Amino acid sequence: MRYDKYETVIGLEIHAQLSTRSKAFCGDDASFGGAPNTQVSPISLGHPGTLPRLNEKQVEYAVRLGLALGSEISLYSAFDRKNYFYADLPKGYQVTQDRAPICVGGSLTIRVGEEEKSIRIHHIHMEEDAGKSMHDTEEPYSRIDLNRAGVPLLEIVSEPDLRSAEEVDAYMSAMRQLLRYLDISDGNMEQGSMRCDCNVSVRLKGSEKLGERCEIKNLNSMRYARRAIAYEVKRQVDVIESGGRVEQQTLNFDPATGVTAPLRDKEDAHDYRYFPEPDLPPVALTPEYVEKVKQSLPALPWELYQRFQEEYGLPEYDAGLLTQEQPTAFFFMALCEHTPNFKAASNLIINKVVPYCNEMGMGIADFPVGHDQLAAFIQLIDEGKVAAAAAYQHIFPVLAAEPARAPLEIAQSLNLIQTSDENLLEKLVDEALSNNPEEVERYRNGKKGLMGFFMGEVMKASKGKADPKVASKLLREKLG
Amino acid sequence: MNMPKYKTLQQVQEAIRAGGESCEGVVQYYLSRIEATRRLNAYVEVYAEEALERARRLDARYREDAGSVGRLFGMVLSHKDVICYKDHGVTAGSKILEGFTSLFSATAVERLLAEDAIIIGRVNCDEFAMGSSNETSVYGPTRNAADPDRVPGGSSGGSAVAVQADTCLASLGSDTGGSVRQPAAFCGVVGFKPTYGRISRYGLLAYGSSFDQIGTLAHSVEDTALLLEIMAGPDDFDSTASRKVPPAYSQLLHFDKKAKVAYFNTALEHPSLDENIRTACQALIGRLRDDGHVVEGIDFEYLDYIIPAYYVLTTAEASTNLSRYDGIRYGYRSSNATDLISTYKKSRAEGFGAEAKRRIMLGAFVLSAGYYDAYYSKAQKVRRLIKDKTDEAFREYDFILMPAAPGAAWKLGDKMDDPVAMYLADIFTVQANMAGIPAISLPIGQDDNGLPIGIQFMAPKFEEAKLLAFGKALLSRQ
Repeated sequence: MRYDKYETVIGLEIHAQLSTRSKAFCGDDASFGGAPNTQVSPISLGHPGTLPRLNEKQVEYAVRLGLALGSEISLYSAFDRKNYFYADLPKGYQVTQDRAPICVGGSLTIRVGEEEKSIRIHHIHMEEDAGKSMHDTEEPYSRIDLNRAGVPLLEIVSEPDLRSAEEVDAYMSAMRQLLRYLDISDGNMEQGSMRCDCNVSVRLKGSEKLGERCEIKNLNSMRYARRAIAYEVKRQVDVIESGGRVEQQTLNFDPATGVTAPLRDKEDAHDYRYFPEPDLPPVALTPEYVEKVKQSLPALPWELYQRFQEEYGLPEYDAGLLTQEQPTAFFFMALCEHTPNFKAASNLIINKVVPYCNEMGMGIADFPVGHDQLAAFIQLIDEGKVAAAAAYQHIFPVLAAEPARAPLEIAQSLNLIQTSDENLLEKLVDEALSNNPEEVERYRNGKKGLMGFFMGEVMKASKGKADPKVASKLLREKLG
Repeated sequence: MNMPKYKTLQQVQEAIRAGGESCEGVVQYYLSRIEATRRLNAYVEVYAEEALERARRLDARYREDAGSVGRLFGMVLSHKDVICYKDHGVTAGSKILEGFTSLFSATAVERLLAEDAIIIGRVNCDEFAMGSSNETSVYGPTRNAADPDRVPGGSSGGSAVAVQADTCLASLGSDTGGSVRQPAAFCGVVGFKPTYGRISRYGLLAYGSSFDQIGTLAHSVEDTALLLEIMAGPDDFDSTASRKVPPAYSQLLHFDKKAKVAYFNTALEHPSLDENIRTACQALIGRLRDDGHVVEGIDFEYLDYIIPAYYVLTTAEASTNLSRYDGIRYGYRSSNATDLISTYKKSRAEGFGAEAKRRIMLGAFVLSAGYYDAYYSKAQKVRRLIKDKTDEAFREYDFILMPAAPGAAWKLGDKMDDPVAMYLADIFTVQANMAGIPAISLPIGQDDNGLPIGIQFMAPKFEEAKLLAFGKALLSRQ
């Protein structure tokens, strides 16, 4: 396969919409989903005589992300105007940071399969979003919604360190996870609060020189990003293999056809005429301010991933799942305050609590059952009072529906308390053996795997209440 | 030319206090003056009924409790067509803002209204404050009351004539490169531009954002100081407004020391300087010396670089400041447009006048890829140099004396075909905007043709109090 000779090189520009209450440069509501053009004011509409004023939250959020990524925080950064005309850009320019971005450098570690890899960050800068244009709904007209105009964005520009669509996926997931941990963006790609442009090039393996790159604009889902990259890599290799040269251009990915195509020339030939924004003084930060933001950072996903393995003794798999979303990780740690059985806590969260919350459409923080109740639930199993399977299957749903009831009381009312009454169990064991003479024979001839079968029989007979330890001890004794 | 009925707010307030005068009477008087001077074309819109009604309300309040009225009780103002007044039109003398009504008031206007000022109308100006003669307005030129065949200067020409022709007590203008001071000089009134950032720019239509500043045109330094005192100060809506709390300028108008004044040899020897004005400057220098002030000529070798650098920087800022006028959300939209691109092209081609277009093109050019360093960056360096040199002069001197303009008011149409000649009319005023310092233009006499002459003084940043006090002392000695 000729494609094997080539290596893919990808750099990403992620645009993350910040979850500040108000817009980047005025007090308008910045939330998503309002009726069109209801979250606007003379300032966000670019009316004559209006001026921007910086939302300090935006700066704080940028610093938070920069610190989390190990970037250097610029104590002096400045805004620029990026000039272009579009119907959803009220001022005819976007306020952004072109020359002096707020964060420089840094890196984000991603995991693909067993591999860990560090992706370097080039810089992070602050800017404002444009409004939203809806075409094709009422040709020949376009509808413009300016609610989004002026919503604060961070643009996170990576170095060209990514080598595959899988890595892009992992990087975007990790970035999304981080944004959510830092509580600065909801990272919701469907609602457009996280968007990305991909710079893709290919080169012969072993080559040091970067190939000519193409920029694919506005990939608004990870699936599209994967497909667009796969298509684009193939296209570029085909061009080179057929003796051509890849031209540097800006492409648009059409999810309907799965094909990338150049944006119209006119749009591509933009000269944005960047220059310093005279209406906003430079942003000057003190080292004390940066330190204060640093102190306020929450535990980061990779720190918890590490800690869950080292301090809580969880397997990588559990640690990965529990740290995916910060509230889950916090829920786990809170539960572990009440139970010594961390692995059981992890199992319970992963297998019951999270699926339950997903099904109910609630956040895990809103899960109605208290941590002490869940700890008692775990204890029921650990003390052998209820079989784990029975507890998961029968007690959990009742507990979730009636969070005030004690798990032990639920178990009793459902008649699920295991019996370790040796007389009763001995009787059941005897029955199990006398009902299955052939299996007894085979067991005694060395087919030790049949122990599970006998246990099942005893369990069935006890309606799940047999204490498995006692039952298996008795079985072993009787079977010799 | 007739003498103004009232030269200061204090005279108005005294007349009201004495009885026989009222706010309504003052407004009636000014409305009659506006009617009588229609042909000067100073006003774009007169708020006659509204101003009368406000005056009557204020009079009633005053009769009830004389202490309940604001400090600007009796102050009748006009505002340049680039300053927003809620629910009133604002069009920057341009067709592109045809029919546009502002949804808010400029911070400066709000503060004046809060002190019970009355706004009588909106006055003419050059389109987007781009011009030195008030001839680029879509409403036609404003004429100089001293000689209606002559220009009033610009871009706040309407403001200057409104005060000169006694149609209001004072007027709000804006000054990007001399747009308050030069017309004040042409019309024989006091024109004042504060330090950059002293008055909030919120509600001032932007031309060159890092140069623009609201200023005043008035008969007296006293009113100038009071208006400044009320408008100045921090504003959450303008990040470039200074956070310094302003002093009570109107209480600080006493100047009793001997000043050290510098003038630039290159300015007084400048080939463009009219002989009448040179003589007037020299006479003034002599009088200042007679009064015991120290006045010295110093070298300033950058005078000829000021105008080119200024036009590079302001047009760059203007080119993007004016991008929002695109025919999409408000203002003029061409009826010949067929799609988005033609909406932009036709609305802007039909909506902007020649001078605005020239500056947009110039600004877009100096910011474009490949030219940025050669023009914009270089002009910024020149600006820095001029700032530094100006600050250096202030280490030794209290004020810098300058002509306000190289000549007196010229004939309508004289410079319309030569934009560079027009631009050079700002040669002495632009420095204050480049350096962001306060400057005042004072009427000091007339030339051989009976045309007003203005002389300008500049002071260090935020030294408005000293500058105004000195200006008052100088005018009262006249």
